[in-house]
Amino acid sequence: MRGRGAVSFVPWATVAWLFAVGIYGVITSRHYVHLIGCLTVIQSATYIALLSVGYRFGSVAPIFYTRPPSTPAVDPVLQALVLTDIVVGATVTALLLALTLQVHKKRGTVNPERLRPMRQ
Amino acid sequence: MIAPATDVLAPLPVAVPLLVGTLLLLVGKVLPGRLPDALAILAALAVVTIDARLAAHTTGGPLVYWMGHWQPRGEVTLGIGLVINEAEAILAAFMALLFAATFIFAWGYFEDIRALFHVLMLIFLAAMQGFCLTHDLFNLFVWFEVMSVTAFALTAYRLEADPLEGALNFTVTNTIGSFLILGGIALAYSLAGLLDFGALARSLAQHADDPVAVGAFCMIAAGLLIKGAAIPFHFWLADAHAVAPSPVSVIFSGAMVPLALFGLGKIYWDVFETVPPVQLLMRTLVLGLGVTTAIVGGVACLRQRHLKRLLAFSTISHGGILLIGLALPGPVSLAGVLAYFIGHGLVKGALFMVAGVLLATAGGIDELWLRGRGRPVWPAGVAMAVAGSLLGGAPLGLMDSGSRLIGAAAGARGEDWILIAVVLGTACTGGAVLRGAGRIFLGLGEIAGEEARGPSEDESEKPARPLWLMMLPVIVLLIIAIGAGLPHADETMLGAAARFLAWDRIASIGPIGPATAAAVPAPSHPFVPWLTLGLAILIAAHELGHAWLPRSWSRTSRRVLSGPVFTAIDRAHDGVVGDYVVWILIGLALFSVSSAAALHAG
Repeated sequence: MRGRGAVSFVPWATVAWLFAVGIYGVITSRHYVHLIGCLTVIQSATYIALLSVGYRFGSVAPIFYTRPPSTPAVDPVLQALVLTDIVVGATVTALLLALTLQVHKKRGTVNPERLRPMRQ
Repeated sequence: MIAPATDVLAPLPVAVPLLVGTLLLLVGKVLPGRLPDALAILAALAVVTIDARLAAHTTGGPLVYWMGHWQPRGEVTLGIGLVINEAEAILAAFMALLFAATFIFAWGYFEDIRALFHVLMLIFLAAMQGFCLTHDLFNLFVWFEVMSVTAFALTAYRLEADPLEGALNFTVTNTIGSFLILGGIALAYSLAGLLDFGALARSLAQHADDPVAVGAFCMIAAGLLIKGAAIPFHFWLADAHAVAPSPVSVIFSGAMVPLALFGLGKIYWDVFETVPPVQLLMRTLVLGLGVTTAIVGGVACLRQRHLKRLLAFSTISHGGILLIGLALPGPVSLAGVLAYFIGHGLVKGALFMVAGVLLATAGGIDELWLRGRGRPVWPAGVAMAVAGSLLGGAPLGLMDSGSRLIGAAAGARGEDWILIAVVLGTACTGGAVLRGAGRIFLGLGEIAGEEARGPSEDESEKPARPLWLMMLPVIVLLIIAIGAGLPHADETMLGAAARFLAWDRIASIGPIGPATAAAVPAPSHPFVPWLTLGLAILIAAHELGHAWLPRSWSRTSRRVLSGPVFTAIDRAHDGVVGDYVVWILIGLALFSVSSAAALHAG
């Protein structure tokens, strides 16, 4: 069972903290660019969750070019997942920023409180 | 056994639309005229054919396909698998069919951006096929994300204020949903160290009382319920579906939302079924959410005057009924879910197309403004009335099969009270659509004074399309929904459901013995469909006939409708994304409390 010792408490606490402050930021945000930043903070929580699940103390990065394949290494699957996660995050952030730019052109504001679809 | 020739087909439902989409992206600009439209239609039809063949070949057991032949060796599963059950293949075929119909409906609609619409839609189709057929948790997440991102972009296609705001709400809420799924995946991986559904199921069977397993399920389920628009996660849907181009709304309501709900069922049966607290959560919390969603969605639907928003709330309500079906155990209920998924998708797709016809010909979508203006396009009115009756529980066709089977499953467990939610949701949504048909195409239900001005901005869609071309897919969809396309629908769905549930997930190699399909259950309450339809017509007549009712009655009903409960529902849908996220947190809190109770009970 990986990542479930006493020491692994710290990364999970970080995950919970990042998730909480990110959500708080999204809820209270008054500017869409700020809100997108807060979404990225929530996403950082998922990076740390994934990495801490795959981390093993006293092991190396999963690159066996100069080492024998039996060297203990951290779980490469989760690192691949984090990479995919980063790609997904970049796509969504780019799309959100583009939408924000367009909405600013049309409405002249990027305050989520004032942007209410079909309620103007 | 499965012939090797079929084996090759397994990855094609994903690969074909992806390849054609990429090709269109490369050469779409230089292709002449309507060739991209034709290619997109052909690609969607090819996927229908492949899925239908897969469905025909998996009646004996699921088709297991390992990408690049990375088959599991002993306990080690490194590869990514596709496992295609008959039930999944049928749903995948239906979704591709809906795409083909949408491409025909949208013929020439998106002329300005040429092939880009088709590129997005084909990738959307590929993602849905992948989501439906995959057997790997992270692969499921990837397809979920591809589905989301294409959907966000398609919503904002018009680049006007309302669509952009709707797309922003859609993107923010659903992105939080995908982070939740990812968190759930991390928890599941921390238990099993694997992502393959079969390997996860094997591992979870040994950690049956572990709270981490329950937490993983809760996070993944919450993420899927955000996309599946179950209360209290549903707020984005009405904003996004109402402002997306109508061909896109067809896919959103007809395929994407129900698919996310089916995805919840899929991860439950494929991975978490052996965990007792999760079973309890499905029977209690998910069932409760389904019941609430069906009723509140139906009531909110009746209160809308923006036709596409009205249809969006109807999707929420019918999603609740699907969720009820998923929460009830056993093959009869699952068969009901399959029939209801397809029946609802066909009917709702046709209705969004009718809304598109109105946007293109009458140049508006506000129900009160449209009063009587639909007369020149009367065939659309006939289609809307037929679709409204099917939505309102007419005892005919696939939707009726679905609700009958779900009702029978509830009755078999002695939980007949669930029928109340199904009847209320069905009658309210059917009544709302019938009211719209009566007002728009017959000119009934005049409302004087300030109410005649709609709150939304002027909307219209590209008019330069012949009416027959737009009506053709509507008519085809409705004919299939009435049942001409699928003879013996009940038996087919019951067989597929029985085989889906009989497959041994733990062994993950093939079916265990022959799965016997349950007999078509005798209707426990044969009068229920008629009662529902009658109620729907009564609601529509009441809403349209204010002028003929006694004034005191009219005043009382108006006072009730502006009472605290109803205005609270209206006020909750305020369009502010921060408030929507608060509702998501409330939903997560519900999940936490319920799983704590479930763990305690176990």
